[in-house]
Amino acid sequence: MINDMDRNERLQSQLERLQSTLNRAFRNVPFHQSRFRAAGIDPGEIGAVEDLAKLPFMRRGDLGDHYPYGLFAVPLRDIVRIHTAPGTSRNPSISGYTRQDLSVWQRIISDSLAAAGVTPNDILQIQLDPGLANWARDYRDGTETLGAGVIPGSQLSIEKRLMVLKDYMTTVLITTPAGALELAEYMYRNGIHPNGFNLRTLILVGEPAAAAEKRKLEEMLHVTTWQHYGLSEIPGPAIGFECGRHAGLHLHEDHIIAEITDPQTGAPVPDGETGELVLTTLTARAFPLIRFRTGDRARKIKEPCPCGDNRMRIDWLPERMDDLMIICGVKVDKQQIRDQIEGAFGPALPDYRFLKTSYNFRDLLEIRIRIDQRFFSDEIKDLEKIRSDTAERLTDNLGIPVSVVLCETV
Amino acid sequence: MLRIKNLRCYYGQIMAVKGVSLSIRKGELISIIGANGSGKSTLMSAISGLHRNWTGEIEFSGKSMKSLSPPAIVEGGVSLVPEGRLIFPPLSVRDNLQLGGYTRYRKKNGREADRDMDRIMDLFPILRERAGQPAGTLSGGEQQMLAIGRALMAKPSLLLLDEPSMGLAPLMVEKILSTLELLKKEGLTILLVEQNAGAALQIADRGYVLETGRVVLQGPAADLLCDEEVKRAYLGNDYGEFTDGRA
Repeated sequence: MINDMDRNERLQSQLERLQSTLNRAFRNVPFHQSRFRAAGIDPGEIGAVEDLAKLPFMRRGDLGDHYPYGLFAVPLRDIVRIHTAPGTSRNPSISGYTRQDLSVWQRIISDSLAAAGVTPNDILQIQLDPGLANWARDYRDGTETLGAGVIPGSQLSIEKRLMVLKDYMTTVLITTPAGALELAEYMYRNGIHPNGFNLRTLILVGEPAAAAEKRKLEEMLHVTTWQHYGLSEIPGPAIGFECGRHAGLHLHEDHIIAEITDPQTGAPVPDGETGELVLTTLTARAFPLIRFRTGDRARKIKEPCPCGDNRMRIDWLPERMDDLMIICGVKVDKQQIRDQIEGAFGPALPDYRFLKTSYNFRDLLEIRIRIDQRFFSDEIKDLEKIRSDTAERLTDNLGIPVSVVLCETV
Repeated sequence: MLRIKNLRCYYGQIMAVKGVSLSIRKGELISIIGANGSGKSTLMSAISGLHRNWTGEIEFSGKSMKSLSPPAIVEGGVSLVPEGRLIFPPLSVRDNLQLGGYTRYRKKNGREADRDMDRIMDLFPILRERAGQPAGTLSGGEQQMLAIGRALMAKPSLLLLDEPSMGLAPLMVEKILSTLELLKKEGLTILLVEQNAGAALQIADRGYVLETGRVVLQGPAADLLCDEEVKRAYLGNDYGEFTDGRA
């Protein structure tokens, strides 16, 4: 296990994995080959982990540009699973897994769950929105690898969710901070006391929960919260995890190399300073990502963790470095929202604005559309149709709950 | 125990090993697999000091091997079983083994070396039977046993083997590999270069796949054995194609 390694051993192991990843990416993926060549770099010149900084960044847009299989590093016949998600561009985002990849990611998730004290005696309930369906599957597989019981996510009403939580004696709930808050507030408002439940662990995914938010959830639900970090693109939901000290997120450095860079210059920021988290996969066979700009804001924690695990730790910060919004744990590009609205209205595009809001403690993308003369009708149902059609179209295409409000001023 | 970082080996202007990094921990058995010309044997030659034209770092037990001569490397605990065995055909089996322990006999550690020779003959009983016979009269498999025995006579802590199964009958390959497993169980660290990828990975803890001088895959041997790419390229299946026509 890499967490038993000293610093030199880890760097050596990372270098070996990095070199084979780069060699394979260069050999098998024309996109990487042309980028390396354009930068005048041969993979053989990467002789130390720090040399990674010589390579160009990958952006989310690159994934959309090479949709669907252009970034796969193995023949399609070696792929045993293809994940697709709404994505942040015109094209859905895609990631492929070989059998080996699945096994690796299952172990990563299993280890991250174990770090949160989850054991084979636990029953885990996964409650994630449809936009995070892939992660729900990953968590299911990781839980099974650990040997715990798992209740895979299904779209239930909040009453039914609570019923399952109670009757199935769920001990661990995996959800987004917004999902957990919705549940907690519902219980509070309906006088449902957490003592009637077996729940003791809440694993928060999709977006960083603020300390105050975690405290609130812990008090309301009588649980301990554990934050996980992941990316749909990397692909895996738990590459960062909290240990028992709850002092930042350890990263699975045996499978990724993390850099914190200045988003403007691309240069690494000094340890402890805030920057953009940039990730390189070390063990992904099918879908290697090299210096992938996550858009996530993070800070490297310099001090060693009291838990003794010397893998890199980060603070994952809520603000983003890019033009994405996180709604129900799903990343949505603001330009994609604009494109969708413009697509819905065509040339008769009205004034609009959009914001993240919540309804009944549930994350929501609210789109406020200014109704001008063109839209007025003496039939209320015509306006209602515009509203509901737009909301439905955007919900479908973005994979998140969308509310459309028609108003005279936005 | 052995740490190689960014190794590049040259034959004149030609780079045969192009930035290879690998490591072996004490007690591990590591297999390096790859096709002809992938740089496997050059890598072994560089570690054992026979190939000198290289850049990068090779460290054994924390010490750089850059300026060490082959005898100093052997004395330091690294022994090579070379490709093609390279035994001394006119010399007896016993003399070949004694030559393997040359530095020990020279240092008046002959008694301990004799005890080791006895142990080696226990490991390969055929060598005891043929101790007085010229080594050139042994079969290929027996010569391979002798070559391994000769390397063990230096009492290495790291044993390097370059294609030990080459040209041997399957039964003999099995015998050689099971002996390596036994040596590993006794605590010897082993770096094995093999074209017989299946057999090499079966007994290894971890593996590296070399291709045109570069490591293209590495990981636990059990994972590599299941890897579709390894299966196709080295374990006998046919090659696949990318859906967009890339080979």
